[in-house]
Amino acid sequence: MINIYGIGWIDAKEYGCIAKGTRVAFEGDTGFGGLSKKVFSHPFKYFGRLDRISKLTCYAIALALKDAGIDYSPELKQDIGAIGANDSGSLQADIDYFKDYLDCGRTLARGNLFIYTLPSSPLGEAAIHFGLQGPVFFSSAPKKSLLKVITTASEMLLSEETTAMFAGMTGENEAVYFTLMRDNAANKDFLCDADKARAILSRDMPQDKLVKEFSSLRKGRDQ
Amino acid sequence: MEGRRVSQEMKKAVVVSCDMVTAFGAGTDALWNGIRSGGTAISKIDRFNTKAFQSDNAAVINGLKYLKNDSLVMQMFRLLLKDNSASIPEDAKLILATTKGEIDLLEKKFLTGRGDASDSNPHKLLKKISALAGVKDSGMIISAACASSSTALARAASMIRSGYGDCVLVTACDSVTEFVYAGFSSLMALEKFAAKPFDKKRSGLSLGEAAVYALLMSDARAKREKRNIIGEIAGWGMSDDANHMTGPSRTSDGLIMAVKKALRSAGADEGGIGFISAHGTGTVYNDAMEMRAFHAVFKNKLPVYSVKGAIGHTLGAAGLVETITALRALKEKVVPLTVNLKAADDDAHGWVSNKQRALSNKKMALITNAGFSGINTALVVK
Repeated sequence: MINIYGIGWIDAKEYGCIAKGTRVAFEGDTGFGGLSKKVFSHPFKYFGRLDRISKLTCYAIALALKDAGIDYSPELKQDIGAIGANDSGSLQADIDYFKDYLDCGRTLARGNLFIYTLPSSPLGEAAIHFGLQGPVFFSSAPKKSLLKVITTASEMLLSEETTAMFAGMTGENEAVYFTLMRDNAANKDFLCDADKARAILSRDMPQDKLVKEFSSLRKGRDQ
Repeated sequence: MEGRRVSQEMKKAVVVSCDMVTAFGAGTDALWNGIRSGGTAISKIDRFNTKAFQSDNAAVINGLKYLKNDSLVMQMFRLLLKDNSASIPEDAKLILATTKGEIDLLEKKFLTGRGDASDSNPHKLLKKISALAGVKDSGMIISAACASSSTALARAASMIRSGYGDCVLVTACDSVTEFVYAGFSSLMALEKFAAKPFDKKRSGLSLGEAAVYALLMSDARAKREKRNIIGEIAGWGMSDDANHMTGPSRTSDGLIMAVKKALRSAGADEGGIGFISAHGTGTVYNDAMEMRAFHAVFKNKLPVYSVKGAIGHTLGAAGLVETITALRALKEKVVPLTVNLKAADDDAHGWVSNKQRALSNKKMALITNAGFSGINTALVVK
């Protein structure tokens, strides 16, 4: 059986960990750009250079790690994978890069901008910082992308392709990532099984409703 | 979901149909014969102005043009699927693997004002391919840098093996555009003339373009439908270096992990592999990283080759083009040569060759791919 051990999320005003029941408002306090020291357990090298999608993705994965109680450090690499979706591929990064190229007179563009024109790059940044050595790829569908990446992650875990997976979705101003692992006798502290999560996600809801829905599972579990 | 797996365990995922269009032309024969000739399809390009770039060469498909109302990859897919769509069942699940898809539509918006930047959204391309192939599934996109289509193949095979589907159409494409060419040039990754994988004097990659598909089925369905079985995706492994966005790992630990996973998934040991189709981009660091991994996993030297000196680096399409080529090599019992190789680098000496070699009686091949973000894939086919 595959279970959801944690869910990390962030939007324009708040961030949180669903299994742990934490929710932090940051607007007017630190602002989005100042969260780095609060969310990451060790300094994120060159975080300021990341594009917005990469930043949101890394924040949500950090919160999903924390929610599942998985430690990470600069020295530790783990066979954990990450798959993520969004609605537009890397459109904003494509525009930023190509405008820069045109501004440079169609000669050279900034290589750093080119790197983020790959939809998988935000997950690559997460893999480097969190030491994720499992399968890493972008996967998206025209409808219910989040449901599909959770399904894909579950299938990969059942096939024993890796030991744990982060699966989630990043939007323009929000991101949510789930931590999935196989049933583990040593750790029964999970939020729900993957089938239950899939049933909820099949209703295709906005992120704020999704956070409420999964938070209610935790409340039910605590009673 | 899990009950389904228990009741339908470990089906084989077989390739029953495939085709491609590369700079050697339409069809797998064109590629196969092109590689065997030792020639390269990399040459000077005039699709856009290359004056400011590191190179003016690439492997482009003859006749493909920047058109007012069409993308380069859709021109390729029309060519590819016009005679093949009839053999694709409408219930096939669809995967599209690409890095930049119809990015020339975004270029068009900024260079001419025509269209909209969001026309390059990969979901729009997916919809077009779904209609062209005649499948009902709205499909999914997989993008894993230059390992996109090998990741897609791994997913397709995994879905079939685990009983989540019995027919998956894997499509892949990428084209040579100013957008991509300028990007690689800015990273100083391009070889001035034509890529020389595993050569002592290699200095970069050459870009190429391709569209390609493979139809995978469970062996049970393939037999039921009396399909010609081209080969089997027997094992797969994926990993990430977790090291650097553009530079391959100096220890090769990520690729070693992927290869070991693939062998385990195939139920094979390293002695069962007859040859390796390497990613072999022709960059100094990629090729060295791969050779380090091969030395670490394989006790004895194995025939290794790369097709990228012949057709360039086809980015998201590379893994699928190379898998189909490896299946052809297994069938023909020959190991292709590495085009543009003159003097093998020290660590590749005895592994790579600029001459075609006879294949031993081993029945399996390993295909490796790697991409930005440290992504690695390894496939075992037979």
